Amino acid sequence: MRLGGTMPSLRGYVPLIPPVTILMMFFALPMGMMIGLSFQDGDTGSFSLTSYERFFTDDLALDGFFRTIVMSGLVAVCVTVMSYPIAYFLARSTSRWRAVVFALAIAPELAGVVLRTYGWLIILEDQGFVNDLVIQLGLIDRPLPLSHNMFGVVVGLTHVLLPFGILSLLTNIQGIDPNLEKSAQILGASRLSVLRHIILPLSVPGIVSSLLIAFTLAASAYATPALLGGIKFSVLATMIYQQVLFYINWPYAAVMANVLLVIVLAIAFTGARLESRLNSKLHVR
Amino acid sequence: MSAAEIADIELVGVTKSYGGNVVVVDNVSLTVPRGEFVSILGPSGCGKTTTLNMIAGFHEPSSGEIRIRGRNQVGVPPEKRNIGLVFQNYALFPHMTVQENVAFGPKMKGQSKSETEEAVRSALKSVRLEGYESRYPKELSGGQQQRTALARAIAPRPSVLLLDEPLSNLDLKLREAMRIELKEVQQQLGMTFVYVTHDQEEAMSMSDRVVVMSDGVVAQEGRPSEIYQNPVSAFVADFIGKSNLLPVKQARDHDGRLTLTLGGGLSLVSERSGDIPANDITLCCIRPENVQLARKGASGENLLTGRVDKLVNLGAHAELWVDVSKDCLLKVQVPVRRLQGIEIGSHVDLLIESAAIQPLAH
Ligand SMILES: Nc1ncnc2c1ncn2[C@@H]1O[C@H](COP(=O)(O)OP(=O)(O)OP(=O)(O)O)[C@@H](O)[C@H]1O
Ligand SMILES: [Mg+2]
Repeated sequence: MRLGGTMPSLRGYVPLIPPVTILMMFFALPMGMMIGLSFQDGDTGSFSLTSYERFFTDDLALDGFFRTIVMSGLVAVCVTVMSYPIAYFLARSTSRWRAVVFALAIAPELAGVVLRTYGWLIILEDQGFVNDLVIQLGLIDRPLPLSHNMFGVVVGLTHVLLPFGILSLLTNIQGIDPNLEKSAQILGASRLSVLRHIILPLSVPGIVSSLLIAFTLAASAYATPALLGGIKFSVLATMIYQQVLFYINWPYAAVMANVLLVIVLAIAFTGARLESRLNSKLHVR
Repeated sequence: MSAAEIADIELVGVTKSYGGNVVVVDNVSLTVPRGEFVSILGPSGCGKTTTLNMIAGFHEPSSGEIRIRGRNQVGVPPEKRNIGLVFQNYALFPHMTVQENVAFGPKMKGQSKSETEEAVRSALKSVRLEGYESRYPKELSGGQQQRTALARAIAPRPSVLLLDEPLSNLDLKLREAMRIELKEVQQQLGMTFVYVTHDQEEAMSMSDRVVVMSDGVVAQEGRPSEIYQNPVSAFVADFIGKSNLLPVKQARDHDGRLTLTLGGGLSLVSERSGDIPANDITLCCIRPENVQLARKGASGENLLTGRVDKLVNLGAHAELWVDVSKDCLLKVQVPVRRLQGIEIGSHVDLLIESAAIQPLAH
């Protein structure tokens, strides 16, 4: 929709003033300041590329950069794979359990991220529930490395972001005519063939948007990687936090923030392009 | 036993209920011989789609048995039933071309590449859609989508084709043309068709046999002309074609001729005593085209006089509503050329053949 795009006079733009002002104050302005900051010298405040130079030559920083991408990718895949059957059930079921499953799927969103992450910590810690249990059962004698590593973080983030995956897939699958599945079935397709030839291809747009949302939210998540990952697990979000709070190096933090921004924007852009291409090709209602 | 005598589909006392007490299909029995075109006709919500879904295997009946070519289908999933199905909204696969849509069935049935190609070619030829193979469904008109859906359903050569109101999304002209085509395809393939519709013209024009349903039960079953001429109930008479349904106060049987006493001092003679005992008769049905304008001064039985209350000219013929007694308006269909001198308010004499008056119990 083009707001006021064809209005002959400036009066049409008046309603745009409040939202644009708010966007400027809370979005564009801080973003602009951050970009400006990243090009400043920490001591003198003059224009400088030193912070960028430092980032791209620092092994620890690049480590964090790649870890962010790997973590977000894993989370995106886990969220989407786990959301799919739940979303499919929610889209197709008429059973009374539908409401219950829906509530269970979405309700965790009501408890804060920190709360849920602590929950996972209690379960996954070295002295946590799972390790206690398997040690008590005598299956192993040393705790499994379930937390303070990639595994723990991916588990925690997958749980946190699951509702986003479910909702984006649900919208998509609900738009697929159930008669298509019936038609395929009566034409001789087994359940698996229906999934493979009909439902999966038609839900590619939903899969793409689930991957996209989960990836971008995982890449910018702070609490879960910080708590479940521990001190040594650094991703861009935790590194930014450290630079600001411990090293008080604002320009360097700004560089990392910009790198994060670029990753997220690049993924969002390609994903959105892909999705709209697929949507127009499939013409799913 | 000849091929025509083998029943392709048999429903025996099929009942479907939801939640134990909502009975949607009630004790329906039905036999569809091979190669026949059978329509299930009934108003919205009478259980047509539910019946079709049970035949297709998407719902299991709550009780009763469904047999396809003599084999009981309980527990057989839809993909194993060798049935074709055409939906009202066509349900074409949007991500596949016409070719791929039509090839889907043969492929899933494990046919070879060349067999599949042959099946697609002949199916598209049957529905006259050659040359559209590489189009996507969204690039087709409504009628072409309809044909693609039909081609897709017949390509794997099912033993039976089920069609659920396949023409109701088309405009009137196209719908009428497609009726003829559907019938031609059916005859050319010799395939058994079970056609669900709420449009009585559609059912009458295509079917070898019509099953009229009402509230989950079969109200009447028979050849189209049979059902039209001998409706067994007021529901059928009213649902199929136009009719006058007149309440009967008293009926008396004289050697197969019935004297029906109506309200307002009218009395008619019917030659169809039928199976209904005279005491049970509560209504009689008279088709508007069976009421004739009588010559002035004519005499005899079933002669009525009345005042024209309404007159609608429909081109070839006209419809008159004639006030024959205090509370009885009779619908009459007359050729327009007989309309001379008749206008609203004129008095006319009407004659009804005694064979055209159908007594009804309910
Ligand atoms: N899952 C269900 N639970 C309860 N009632 C149902 C269910 N499915 C269908 N019905 C009811 O069964 C009745 C018959 O439905 P059906 O779809 O067979 O009607 P239909 O004859 O095909 O009507 P239409 O011409 O409108 O398509 C309807 O009254 C409907 O409300
Ligand atoms: Mg229906």
